[in-house]
Amino acid sequence: MKGTTSHPPSIEIFHAQKAGEGFFSWVATVDHKRIGILYLLTAFFFFGVGGLEALVMRVQLAKPNNTLLSPDAYNQLFTMHGTTMIFLVVMPTLIGLANYFVPLMIGARDMAFPRLNAMSYWFLPFGGLLLHFSLLAGGAPSVGWFSYAPLSETPFAPSPGVDYWILALFALGIGSISTSINLIATVLALRAPGMSIRRLPLFAWMVFVNSFLLIMALPALNAAIIMLFIDRQLEAHFFLPSHGGSAILWQHFFWTFGHPEVYIMVLPAFGIISEVIPVFARKPIFGYEFVAASTVAIAILSFGVWAHHMFAVGLGQPMDLFFAASSMMIAVPTGVKIFNWSATLWGGSIHLTTSMLFAVAFLLQFTLGGLSGVTFAVVPIDWQVTDTYYLVAHFHYVLFGGSFFGVFAGLYYWFPKMTGRLLSESIGKVHFWLTVIGFNMAFFVQHFLGLMGMTRRVYTYPDYPGWGLLNMVSTIGAFILGLSVLVLVWNMAVSLRRGTPAGDNPWNAWTLEWAASSPPAEHNFDQLPPIQGRRPLWDLAHPENPDEPEASGGEPESKRSDRNKTGMMCFIASEAFFFIMLLIAYIFYNFSQHPNPGAQWLNPLKTGIFTFCLLASSFTFWRAEKRLGAKDHTGFLVWLLATLALGGVFLVGQGMEYFELFLKGLRAGTNLFSASFFMVTGLHGLHVLVGLIWLLIVLGFALAGDFKTGKTESVKTMGFYWHFVDVVWIVVFTAIYLVGPVS
Amino acid sequence: MTTHEFLLTAWDWNPFVLAACVITLLLYGLSCRWKFSGKSFFFLAGLVLCFLALDSPVSLLARGTLFSAHMLQHLLLVLIVPPLLLMGLPGSGAHGQIPGRLLPWGNNPLIAWFSGVGAMWIWHVPALCDAAASNGSVHVLQTFSLLFLGVLFWRPIVSARKEDRLSPLAGIPYLFTACVACSLLGIWISFAPVGVCPVYMNPVDQLGILPMIRNGWGLTPIADQQIGGLLMWVPACLIYLGAIMVLLGRYYRRPIKEMEIKNARKK
Repeated sequence: MKGTTSHPPSIEIFHAQKAGEGFFSWVATVDHKRIGILYLLTAFFFFGVGGLEALVMRVQLAKPNNTLLSPDAYNQLFTMHGTTMIFLVVMPTLIGLANYFVPLMIGARDMAFPRLNAMSYWFLPFGGLLLHFSLLAGGAPSVGWFSYAPLSETPFAPSPGVDYWILALFALGIGSISTSINLIATVLALRAPGMSIRRLPLFAWMVFVNSFLLIMALPALNAAIIMLFIDRQLEAHFFLPSHGGSAILWQHFFWTFGHPEVYIMVLPAFGIISEVIPVFARKPIFGYEFVAASTVAIAILSFGVWAHHMFAVGLGQPMDLFFAASSMMIAVPTGVKIFNWSATLWGGSIHLTTSMLFAVAFLLQFTLGGLSGVTFAVVPIDWQVTDTYYLVAHFHYVLFGGSFFGVFAGLYYWFPKMTGRLLSESIGKVHFWLTVIGFNMAFFVQHFLGLMGMTRRVYTYPDYPGWGLLNMVSTIGAFILGLSVLVLVWNMAVSLRRGTPAGDNPWNAWTLEWAASSPPAEHNFDQLPPIQGRRPLWDLAHPENPDEPEASGGEPESKRSDRNKTGMMCFIASEAFFFIMLLIAYIFYNFSQHPNPGAQWLNPLKTGIFTFCLLASSFTFWRAEKRLGAKDHTGFLVWLLATLALGGVFLVGQGMEYFELFLKGLRAGTNLFSASFFMVTGLHGLHVLVGLIWLLIVLGFALAGDFKTGKTESVKTMGFYWHFVDVVWIVVFTAIYLVGPVS
Repeated sequence: MTTHEFLLTAWDWNPFVLAACVITLLLYGLSCRWKFSGKSFFFLAGLVLCFLALDSPVSLLARGTLFSAHMLQHLLLVLIVPPLLLMGLPGSGAHGQIPGRLLPWGNNPLIAWFSGVGAMWIWHVPALCDAAASNGSVHVLQTFSLLFLGVLFWRPIVSARKEDRLSPLAGIPYLFTACVACSLLGIWISFAPVGVCPVYMNPVDQLGILPMIRNGWGLTPIADQQIGGLLMWVPACLIYLGAIMVLLGRYYRRPIKEMEIKNARKK
């Protein structure tokens, strides 16, 4: 900025200087649009990696009894393919689009926490590197993307592949949870005037609902992989049945995350479709309310159906019955959406652009995938076809035919907004038809292979009649699909070099992102159009025929939430789910199992005293906040120091307790009691430690005089966390020390 | 005894329950001067289900024989009967305010939430669950407390008086968190390898129906408890989910109504 002080800068210069050019400006960016693009580019890179892995597998499977790959190499490939596609491709792509477009759609300047946003992104390449570093460290994980125990335990998977898999997923999980918190806070706190929740564009709404799904589902995965990590690194036996552990618990925990994850990967794609179809059918979406409400129904139901992944485990008839019913039920809200999209098409003036073609193909293919999904809810059918290629076909129809087609529809729709240039429609049609043909060739025949009994995850197959032919068809399809991706790359390259300039609103769309320039300026909007309905740009263009004619006075404006408080509440909700999972594990291993020695050494009285210290620290922090509110800085500092001291005493107490238990010979790996005890109390202690560090930072700011200006939100926000950690301890203390192991 | 005979004969016809239902119906009819509206249907349905929960074979089985029957009764009394009764009350007039007058503190959503969740958890503490299943007076206490706590819980959601309701978007986390709390208990009951309510593990077969249940219906004590837990876990959650859908419906409908009112005023 120094150079421009003498002259009033023109707008362009101002942008160029602020946005910056060159590599480092991208590394250091906190702009949601650049971060969105970084997400998309990284995901596209890994899409290439995962796709190549798939092609190698398809070559291996092209003919019977093939020996191109060893069984172990094949195992590594399908594990890496699944993990890459789910965690490094689909999720970051959808998060990237959400990052770019949700703030634009709601008329915001940026995300609620831009720096947190940058951090979330950088966890993605970090996680990807961790996962792939396993290749250098003795081999990639080879136990499947859901790492079923006990196969994933040290005796059966001694190479560190699984450890890198755990670390990578943990890193990616941190990134995903923080983005979700960010998106929720953005939608709740930063909507432009007039953009009420009921007017949210459906993509923004579905991303919003999806973010809740993420912050509640990922803690289950985190809890599970932490337990697996403790098993592998500290020689505990959570999931080793040979030592009294439970392999089933891994499945329960994993699918508690895993089933919502399916919807996490598809809900934002639903959102894209709900944006694309109305625009290219030139009609408002049919039954906005139904599409929006059914999203909530799907999100909630998705937590109640996970056991249908486990019908083959033998959970017992009552369990199978109830989960079969609930699994079928989740098809209802999904079906509602399909009908709404179809009804939007009905009677519309349909423009079959490439984007629209992908959206229509999405409808057909996702419906197919959904229908084969319902067949899995029928328990006897599930027993027959689970872990066959029928399942592989099913989830590829949902995730490729569904999510990816949605992403492609969104890419052709939004690419001009992101780059200012249209993608070529003619190359796009080639891309579309190659994708449709390749995809259906590759995966439709797999239904038949599965029904004939070909099992997934086996590196080759015998020369049964028809198997070789169908597999060859599938392999050729996969290569056509690979070719289609090259066409897409070509299309993007052509467009970036000499594509038709798009203008601000090439599709005559109606949502706010099209009111910004293409690409949008760093600050997004120079001036927002008035928002008086769900389609602000329609209202702007047709003042005589607005969507909500009655609303001209504007509807009663609800207050926007405070972003710090919202963000912290979401974080706490996520942490609460994490501790609930840990406590479920503790209860599972210690109530009603054969009693494990060690619990008798716990001293409820002594720990009770330290508990009192921790609870007192909540009180002192509350006093500190009050003093700050009364502008009494000395009082604030005194109470803050007291909080720090009391929290420190608690940690020292925990250290002493651990030391005594160590002296008595109790280690994390001793038995299931010790493992679960050290896990729950240790992770809680870690949270206290984080809280203390945070308090020290607050103290530093306080000493520097930061709070004298009256900006005290950070103290309040910190307070929520500190009180939460105390509440968790009350529950943990009650469960472990007061109730204790029950047999 | 065959199932058919059992279903025909195992009705309590408890005079107190019968009288309570009839008197409530009379009071309701008198207060609206026997002019029934669409709302009255909810109230009647609530009364009928209340009667079924307390007098039908379900009630007999719930008293110490089948845990799943107990759970069905429990869920009817907390999750289904109270909201139906509340929805049936007229929004205006004196008796629309009855719940509010009886419960001055009942407007606090936190207390309401803990009432609903507490009704689920407290009565499934093994000792209390046993006592209610085997001791008649504890069972009566349980019945009343469930209805009462249920009314408290549902008032912020379905109260006929709009002033008593939470805003729809606040109601969603209210219901969702209650659903989670309820599911956790359901999960615990479904997977607990011990009897959550030990009475049901070895029922005293006074009526000679145990062979019918164990052999005819094929219900072992463990399967019985699993079904009970699953009832609380899955269908109960669907009730909360249904209520959330109702709230969303209200939320999306509201501005139109407000606009209609505004337009009507303009004319």
